[in-house]
Amino acid sequence: MSAFKAGLEENQVQTAWAESGSNAIVRIAGGRFDLVVTDENLSDMTGLELIEKVISKKPMVNCAAVTSLLPADFHEASEGLGVLMQLPVRPGQEQAEKLLSRLKTILNLAEQATTD
Amino acid sequence: MRNGRIAVPSNGNGGLDATRSGHFGHCDVFTFIDVENGEIKKVSTIQNQEHIQGGCMVPVNLLASHNVKALVVGGIGMRPLMGFKQAGIEVYHDSQRAGIRPVVEDLIAGKLPEITDDQVCGGGGGSMRPE
Repeated sequence: MSAFKAGLEENQVQTAWAESGSNAIVRIAGGRFDLVVTDENLSDMTGLELIEKVISKKPMVNCAAVTSLLPADFHEASEGLGVLMQLPVRPGQEQAEKLLSRLKTILNLAEQATTD
Repeated sequence: MRNGRIAVPSNGNGGLDATRSGHFGHCDVFTFIDVENGEIKKVSTIQNQEHIQGGCMVPVNLLASHNVKALVVGGIGMRPLMGFKQAGIEVYHDSQRAGIRPVVEDLIAGKLPEITDDQVCGGGGGSMRPE
């Protein structure tokens, strides 16, 4: 994850880490986060369970998930959750840049939607 | 519903006599029906925006910015449903009928149920696939 984290931080992204899903939920509830990236399995829940809990309270928060599933299986498993991107088990700098690019596209579209 | 703007994800050019889209995030247009005192006063349409993975909140912003009060869907994913709720837009559910007019008439008459959390489904699409 260090290359992925470095890829984010090179683009002036501030990152914060949580040790568990429940800890992440508390931090997200009390802060302003544009993006949540979750590991496939956390100590107390799966990554997709975390995403479900996050969007049930803060649907505007974008989420990406590390997963070992094939794309079609991941699509099936995450349907309806609006996951921004599927990440490989060891995401690197390239994935960080792709993820940020997609996030910017989404945020721009959302901004356009409010001004049309 | 006696007053306010209803939005219906629609196929083609939309309009009261058009058909509903089964996938609200991918619909061609949204048909807006403005209701006053329980009567349809105006029907208009708005083009949907580009849909990309993870972009299911874009239509939430779009409809909220157009003062939509109620949305009728055949199915919807959990994230956009939560988004519409947060934006104060009521989400109603009909998974059977493809036409726009009958579901709008039922909504105005108070006969259309609001979607429940256990009816959410995958991909912003839903169990209904009216063409």
